[in-house]
Amino acid sequence: MTELNSIRTERSVIEELSPEAKQLLQRVLQIERSKLHLSDDIDSTIDDILNIVKGLVQ
Amino acid sequence: MKILSIELFNFRQFMGKQSFSFEPVGNRNVSMIFAANGVGKTTLLNAFTWSLYGLLSDDVEEKERLITDCAWSQTILGGMIAVYVEVSFEHEGIIFKAKRIAEVAKSSGEQGHLYPKLILSKVTINGQSEVVFAPQQMIETILPQRLSRFFFFNGERIEKLAHGRAYAEVKQDIKILLGLEQVERALVHLPKVDRKLSKELKKHGGSQAAAIQGDIEVKEDHFELLKAQMLEAELSLVEFSEEREVVLERLRQHEGAGPLQTRRDSVAKLLKNEQESLKAQMDQRDYIVATKGFLAFTGNVATRANEIAADLHDKGSLPAPLKREFVDSLLERHKCICGTELTPGLLPYQEVQNWRAKAGLAEVEAAWQRLSGEVGLIHDSRGELKTSLQEKSGAISKAQSRIRELEGEKSELDSKLKDMPMEEVGKLEEKRKDLESRILEVNVKITQVRSKVKANEVELASLRSQLKQAKVGDELAIIASRRMQVVQHVQAALTEILEIRSQEMRKRLDEKVKEVFSEITIKPYIPYLHDDFELGLFAKSPTGQDLPVPKGTGENQILSLSFVAAVSQLAREVQVERQGDDESQEDWGTYPLVMDAAFGSLDLNYQRTVSRALARIAPQMVVLVSRSQGQGQVFSELRPHLASLGIIVSHSTNISQPSESIEINGYNHAYIHTGAEMDWSELVEVKI
Repeated sequence: MTELNSIRTERSVIEELSPEAKQLLQRVLQIERSKLHLSDDIDSTIDDILNIVKGLVQ
Repeated sequence: MKILSIELFNFRQFMGKQSFSFEPVGNRNVSMIFAANGVGKTTLLNAFTWSLYGLLSDDVEEKERLITDCAWSQTILGGMIAVYVEVSFEHEGIIFKAKRIAEVAKSSGEQGHLYPKLILSKVTINGQSEVVFAPQQMIETILPQRLSRFFFFNGERIEKLAHGRAYAEVKQDIKILLGLEQVERALVHLPKVDRKLSKELKKHGGSQAAAIQGDIEVKEDHFELLKAQMLEAELSLVEFSEEREVVLERLRQHEGAGPLQTRRDSVAKLLKNEQESLKAQMDQRDYIVATKGFLAFTGNVATRANEIAADLHDKGSLPAPLKREFVDSLLERHKCICGTELTPGLLPYQEVQNWRAKAGLAEVEAAWQRLSGEVGLIHDSRGELKTSLQEKSGAISKAQSRIRELEGEKSELDSKLKDMPMEEVGKLEEKRKDLESRILEVNVKITQVRSKVKANEVELASLRSQLKQAKVGDELAIIASRRMQVVQHVQAALTEILEIRSQEMRKRLDEKVKEVFSEITIKPYIPYLHDDFELGLFAKSPTGQDLPVPKGTGENQILSLSFVAAVSQLAREVQVERQGDDESQEDWGTYPLVMDAAFGSLDLNYQRTVSRALARIAPQMVVLVSRSQGQGQVFSELRPHLASLGIIVSHSTNISQPSESIEINGYNHAYIHTGAEMDWSELVEVKI
């Protein structure tokens, strides 16, 4: 483990993100979690994320 | 995953429809089922894995005969007969029913191969049942099949889980339980989203931005290529390592070569430990040099400082006869201690002021005194530095000499094995050497690809920074650029989060295994989960070194049980943490332990400590035991945790033996019923 990681936490990584990025991160993980049972090469996941990005950054 | 119930229909010896409830009641989370040997404990365990994964364990004989024999024989030729197992469970607040069913038309006296299908349904909020698509994959995400062997197992064989790389094999599957899988998937998808956005930027962003974006895409494609190369190399490494393990195992089992191979294993382990110890000693030596090494160059500084102090003292300057602060106070008050007025510009004032230059500063004196004390310490520290460096050098040269000795012994064993007059051993040894060199080659390749990945990352970062500064005039391109930046920030954050979570999970799992293991065993052994998830057992040597412990069956069983309990407990903790303070769904991260012959060959003392520890740790436990294993201390330990109790009653056509009963809680219940019309087993719930 790098020294950087030993002092950095998940929370500190998230706190450094902009509000838009924080929301995107949360939504992306929600989508991925809900589709865990499906294979990871389906395009709909990419489109779902793309739509979220477009909705968040206008 | 909380198991609610099981329903069996014509499954193996369980004739007709039979069911059993495992639903925990309040804090009581244990279900205990008694059965005589050969009556159906292993079958019931297999009913779970068959329903969920379509799997039967290796110890199930006549796997084709899934349908109860007497039900099959009663079916007329051409008649239809079905077999199914339905497991109801709750996962993250949703009730699922996994039903694996096979229907067949009887065409002969013997059962043929069946083609069962899995139907997974979930109960919606309004109470209606809804079929889940891709059912097997859904179950994989709830409890991956490879991990299931840690949750549905035969206690007598659980120690096998501790062999070889069993834990390393499930590393990927543990990721699902511990919430790492979705992060990994996001890291696959986000670059693709980024690429889609980049098309918009290229379209609207002007020539400079388009050119930089083009370069970025080339680098990204190269990165994908490197990732594929890395994956290929890693897979080859796993493949060669597994192949080498097979060869080594054959050498171990070989009558002539076995003892030599066993010795070589032990030498290799010792060698690895010595190499690790050497590295640790060298690191410690480097640390000493880095933090205290300057003392070696202080030479006669301490002696010289003492001489200066003594000289000043002899001259009466240290301590100074007069303090500057005192002179200053006289000048400020304009009055000497003899009563003379001190007026600036007049002779008395001038004379007192002359004394100021000769007076000493209190601060300087205090510092000087401190320094005198520390000068003494420098001398002592120099001595300590010398001693500790001598000690480290001694330990290093001892480790180096031990390494040389072990390398010599290993080399001798290599040539003994190579020269053995048995053709098979020679071939195996040749194969091993070939695999060793392939493993070395792959490791070199992995290192090379890793360094290329790093270089590529640096170039990509530089291009992205150039893109940020590039002039983009078009409004659509500006939005596309901002969107890409947000995506890239999230991607970078998730990369870091994955690293943090992975390290944290391994560390926490290691701590949990240690905690559970120490609760069960009385032996002073310490389990250790390596970076690659390989689980080892260590003991402290008299010199404080960690030495690997040869794992006996008992230790392996406890180690495996500790690992299972630790994964189960950690999965629950992680899920609860990730879901925040919402306590409405109590089964987050809950995984049951279903154990056949639960306590394996453990002695009575361990049976008690294991049952006590598991009942406390596991969110849900189903224990399948024989009368001899389940009564006495085990029953006493588990009784306060019992949610349900049952017996698999054997109905046997055998008339040479009398029927038997079992006494539970002071009541007698049917256990073996002989002289029956057919051979079958009955799952009966007993009042607690």
